[in-house]
Amino acid sequence: MRHYFSNIYLGLYTALVGMRITFKQFLRPSVTHQYPYDRSFEQKKNIREIPKGYRGKLHNRIEDCIGCKKCELICPVDCITITTQKLPKGERLWDSMNVVHLKNRTEIVGNIEGDEKPASNTTVAIQTRDEGTVTVSSEEIANIVERKPVIFYLDQFDIDMSLCMYCGLCTEVCPTECLIMYDNLSDGIEYSTFDRTDLIYEFAKPEMYDQPADESTEAEAAD
Amino acid sequence: MPLGLQFENLHQFFVQSSESWAQRFVQDHAPVLTHLPAPLGELVIMLACCVIFVAVVPLLPLGLVLAERKVSAHIQDRVGPMRVGPHGILQTLADGVKLIFKEDHIPREGDKFLFVASPYIIFACSFAVFAAIPFDKSILVSELNIGIFYIMAISSVIVMGVIMAGWASNSKWSLLGAMRSAAQIVSYEIPLGLCILTVVMLVQSLNMQDIVTGQDGIANWLIFRTPFTFVAFFVFFISAIAEVNRTPFDLPEAESELVAGFHTEYSGMRFALFFIAEYANMFAVSAIAATLFLGGWHGIVPAEMLPQAGILGFVLKTITLGGLLGVAIKTLLLVFVMMWLRWTLPRLRVDQLMNLCWKYFIPISFFNILGVGIWGLIFPKDSMLSIIISIAVIILGLIFTFGVLGRSLSKGAEPPPSSAERRISATT
Repeated sequence: MRHYFSNIYLGLYTALVGMRITFKQFLRPSVTHQYPYDRSFEQKKNIREIPKGYRGKLHNRIEDCIGCKKCELICPVDCITITTQKLPKGERLWDSMNVVHLKNRTEIVGNIEGDEKPASNTTVAIQTRDEGTVTVSSEEIANIVERKPVIFYLDQFDIDMSLCMYCGLCTEVCPTECLIMYDNLSDGIEYSTFDRTDLIYEFAKPEMYDQPADESTEAEAAD
Repeated sequence: MPLGLQFENLHQFFVQSSESWAQRFVQDHAPVLTHLPAPLGELVIMLACCVIFVAVVPLLPLGLVLAERKVSAHIQDRVGPMRVGPHGILQTLADGVKLIFKEDHIPREGDKFLFVASPYIIFACSFAVFAAIPFDKSILVSELNIGIFYIMAISSVIVMGVIMAGWASNSKWSLLGAMRSAAQIVSYEIPLGLCILTVVMLVQSLNMQDIVTGQDGIANWLIFRTPFTFVAFFVFFISAIAEVNRTPFDLPEAESELVAGFHTEYSGMRFALFFIAEYANMFAVSAIAATLFLGGWHGIVPAEMLPQAGILGFVLKTITLGGLLGVAIKTLLLVFVMMWLRWTLPRLRVDQLMNLCWKYFIPISFFNILGVGIWGLIFPKDSMLSIIISIAVIILGLIFTFGVLGRSLSKGAEPPPSSAERRISATT
């Protein structure tokens, strides 16, 4: 008999305890982020940054691409398609830019003025494309990717990101380091589309051959 | 002539046609119809009622499904549907449109006729319940002398549709779900009926409008009229949750065990009909609970203490939970409690389900009937003294149970059955 009433009491009581908990939860604000629409959570500190070296979307700085086709060759899934026309022997369009890797794991893209292999304890001036001249001490430099002559017209440089398996081999073989994988959130990750054909990125810019390149490269080409 | 006479008697037994809301409405607003020959005029009135209710009632599930999703989402710290319309208010509509355009699939080996018929039976029965629920003094489709009995009867037919659906699907999940549903609904109909009986004993009438009429003001609500009806309300409400197959009594539709129970094989519009019927049922049982125990369209404050005329009267009536909107608020509160319970309690086992019904609810209901009978003998009908004593007993009882008795009761609980015992009870 005692069991009987105890069961009734406990049935009611435990149900009420549970209902109290769920009602508290009901009144609590929800934790959902309406992600693509509301991105305020990105400012919060507990959201981790995307680490350096993350393999995101591929990008090619087409002006520095020398058309060597190493990336096309090494791609395991054949997602890169390149067609080139070779210039007559001995001619070249311009030189690719230096990529200066600094010891603080950043990199600067630009032409080093003067010697490409700077001596120690000197300052190096780097002529970048967008930010003017940047000077760094040679102690900060980890290594430098040397300039290479561009001897191909690039008619086509297509990367099909729907095929890419993000192995990153193409960026490793690139001699001028113009083929990179973005490692930031907005460029490297959020590029989903509704149409798969929109994932084929065409990097070739035939119009860049029409106008004469700027004076410095012109002068170098004349040498 | 004898046949006609018989019909007249039968008609008077079932329907107080002079009191019908629809007829009064027609007499006030479309007197032309009263000149029609009697059966024809009645037919027109019936059709008008049908059209109004068939147009309005499906809108309830539309809102309730969204409410359920929102409530469940917020209990789980989510936000629920947000895309279709502001805060997802058109989500159910979009789902409905999707279901209409889906393929209507009938199992090849199934019983085609029963398969097609059962959604309509369930749909029609759960909607027919609304015909006898009073939403205001004059808003009632059909004032039946046996209103609550009719509701019990018509809602019992739903189980037939469920079994038809389960059998006709030719699927083990459907059949098991239907069998469980039948066992559950038949079992829980008994405490439900007994709880209604306590109300009927107090009111001395089966007419839904009569049941409401006496409940003017919160002290007169039947839930507070005797301590036994207070208990009966909870037994009624929990049994009603079991009747409409909702968690924690959703064994017939247990997702983790039976896919979806009796409507596993249904798709498209037929599935939508089941879904609408389920939510309409939920609303209906809540409305019945509100009508029987929580004063129906009578508010907290007695009607003579409030101004009746104009917008002010209507607003005051609604605020004190009276009138059409008052019933709606009470009903929706009960519906909310159902949703709240759904996301609080886990599903019962079959043996626990039957234990709860046969060992607890039915004895308690019988005790309630006995108690209400004795209460009626001791106190004269509707005396102020009985109400005061009743409310005092309820409050003292609650304090005693949860304050004093609880401490000793919480220690003496029956230990959970061992696995061997559970196996035995599962096989029997």
